[in-house]
Amino acid sequence: MSHYHQPHDTVSEYSDIRSWRSAPLIDRVYVGYGLAVVVLVVLSYLLGMFGWLPSDPDDMDLANMLAGPLTEGHLFGTDYMGRDLQTRLILGIQAYFLPGLLSIVIALVLGAALGVLAGYRGGRSETAVTYVTNLVDALPRLVLMLLVIAAFKPGIYTIMVVLGLTSAPTVAMLVQGKILMLRQRNFIESAVALGISPARIILKHILWYNCRALLLIQATLGMAEAVLLETSLSYLGFGVQEPTPSWGNMVQAGANYLLQGNFWVSTAPALAILFTVLGFHLLGDGLNNMFEGKRQR
Amino acid sequence: MLNLNAWKPVTAVLLRELAVTLALLFGVSLVIFLILYAAPGDPFAALLGGRMLSDSERAAAYEALGISQSWYGQYLSWLGKLLVGDFGVSMRSGQPVTQEIMASGGRTLFLTLGSLVVTLAVAVPIGVYAALQPGGRRAWALTMVAYLISALPTFWIGYLVIYLFTSQFGMLPILSGVGEPQPYEWLYVLLPVLVLGLGNGAFAEVVRYVREETGRVLGEEYVRTARAKGAAAWRHVYKEGLLLPVAEIIASKMPFVLGGAIIVEQVFNWPGMGRLAWQAAQDRDFPVILAITLIAAVVVRLGSLLHRMVYVAVNPRASHE
Repeated sequence: MSHYHQPHDTVSEYSDIRSWRSAPLIDRVYVGYGLAVVVLVVLSYLLGMFGWLPSDPDDMDLANMLAGPLTEGHLFGTDYMGRDLQTRLILGIQAYFLPGLLSIVIALVLGAALGVLAGYRGGRSETAVTYVTNLVDALPRLVLMLLVIAAFKPGIYTIMVVLGLTSAPTVAMLVQGKILMLRQRNFIESAVALGISPARIILKHILWYNCRALLLIQATLGMAEAVLLETSLSYLGFGVQEPTPSWGNMVQAGANYLLQGNFWVSTAPALAILFTVLGFHLLGDGLNNMFEGKRQR
Repeated sequence: MLNLNAWKPVTAVLLRELAVTLALLFGVSLVIFLILYAAPGDPFAALLGGRMLSDSERAAAYEALGISQSWYGQYLSWLGKLLVGDFGVSMRSGQPVTQEIMASGGRTLFLTLGSLVVTLAVAVPIGVYAALQPGGRRAWALTMVAYLISALPTFWIGYLVIYLFTSQFGMLPILSGVGEPQPYEWLYVLLPVLVLGLGNGAFAEVVRYVREETGRVLGEEYVRTARAKGAAAWRHVYKEGLLLPVAEIIASKMPFVLGGAIIVEQVFNWPGMGRLAWQAAQDRDFPVILAITLIAAVVVRLGSLLHRMVYVAVNPRASHE
């Protein structure tokens, strides 16, 4: 960097971002709520990992079956076998958290690589990446997952690898679009003229300076995607199996009781899914408005 | 509505896009075939009571049944049959896959198309309303409700709706869409359509996208100028700010609708292609899941095709791109 000072007014996307303070209130609320959800999920994940739980997840409190929230000894109530819902909700995060991170890493790394290939090299690479993108887009994700399940009976990690692979093209298209925009502003041309090596231009100037916000946003959306996929598959019976809790199989197992009027067993995990997915979506949305300035409200 | 002259470039683009679609579907068929080809297990092992075959035995079995031993040979023979509408025979039921899909496909088509109509009928007015009143409280509240409903798991919404209609409103439990006619049967048929139309993530996306795009076009300076001098800007706003984004969002959300159909069919016990796919995944019924995946890809590509045609019809210059 010693020989090259980035002229802020012309090439950096970051000269005109609105900071946290100047962002509209609504975006600050979105991002604040989203960050709260992230912290809660990470904390709960750690609690589950180290086993610091309110009670034993398989312990049946037969005197308090199907208890509502705020029951003594069960803050979030109990399920149809008298098992503590709070404990099981916390443990349910184990089902998607690490696998979800894996899918995000794959989507971002592969997506960035394909996007650079298409945007920086152009020509045949661009055609090939566009073809692959359209091909992946033509396959509905859940249908493809059922195909993969039929073929391999895979575990959650394999499923999340497939999710990462199928999410990569979206990232690639966004990175490519960003590079095209930078080209129009002669950013890459001037970097080359300054004698910066292509690797440095790509890694530092394109990906780090100009795509990091975009990649972060895609990461939050990817986590929402992972939660939805894991819960859907667990609901369909292809994911985590009872008695190991997952939010999806908790909703599914509680459904019969819901139909009899015992709402809470099934609704508690459904609300957990709602607040988590909403958190990751709003975080992505708010960050998008702040960093990419997509919308002025 | 649409200028007749504008359809000329549409045909040219249609032909070109059809070629692209064919190339893509060829790729899709190859990919899904290879996934299943790479799957562990040997169908012939089942014939011999689970005993693994020696290489020479397998070669003999393939030879006797006239099956190619190379993957591309198998692929080409599968593709060849597929082109004449023969998807093979279901491993589970022994029925031709084409027949099974014909039996269930209509219900899924009804479910997905109906849900699209529901989504558009509710989401587009909300989106336009929100665009016309940026910063309005009521518009914001409606958008927020759309977000909330979309973030709730579809299967939970489904159960809630079933509960409300059976226990609270005193209707009979929902049967599988077939069977004895019941009072209010049309209502039972509508429930899954409503749940898929409003509960699937696509609903909030349509609201958001229409709000953004209609708002953007309304905010364009040339629209403001046109309005200021009294010209009718609505036609342009309608095409550019509504028709186009709606076509685009339908095309891009088609996969979600199809995925959601799998969930909703499961909740409502709806004997469509989604349940067929679920059953096939359970039983490792390769011919069925192959056929369904391919059909889903065709439907998604048809959505994209429609989007491209609307795009070119609205914006004829695009045909030269």
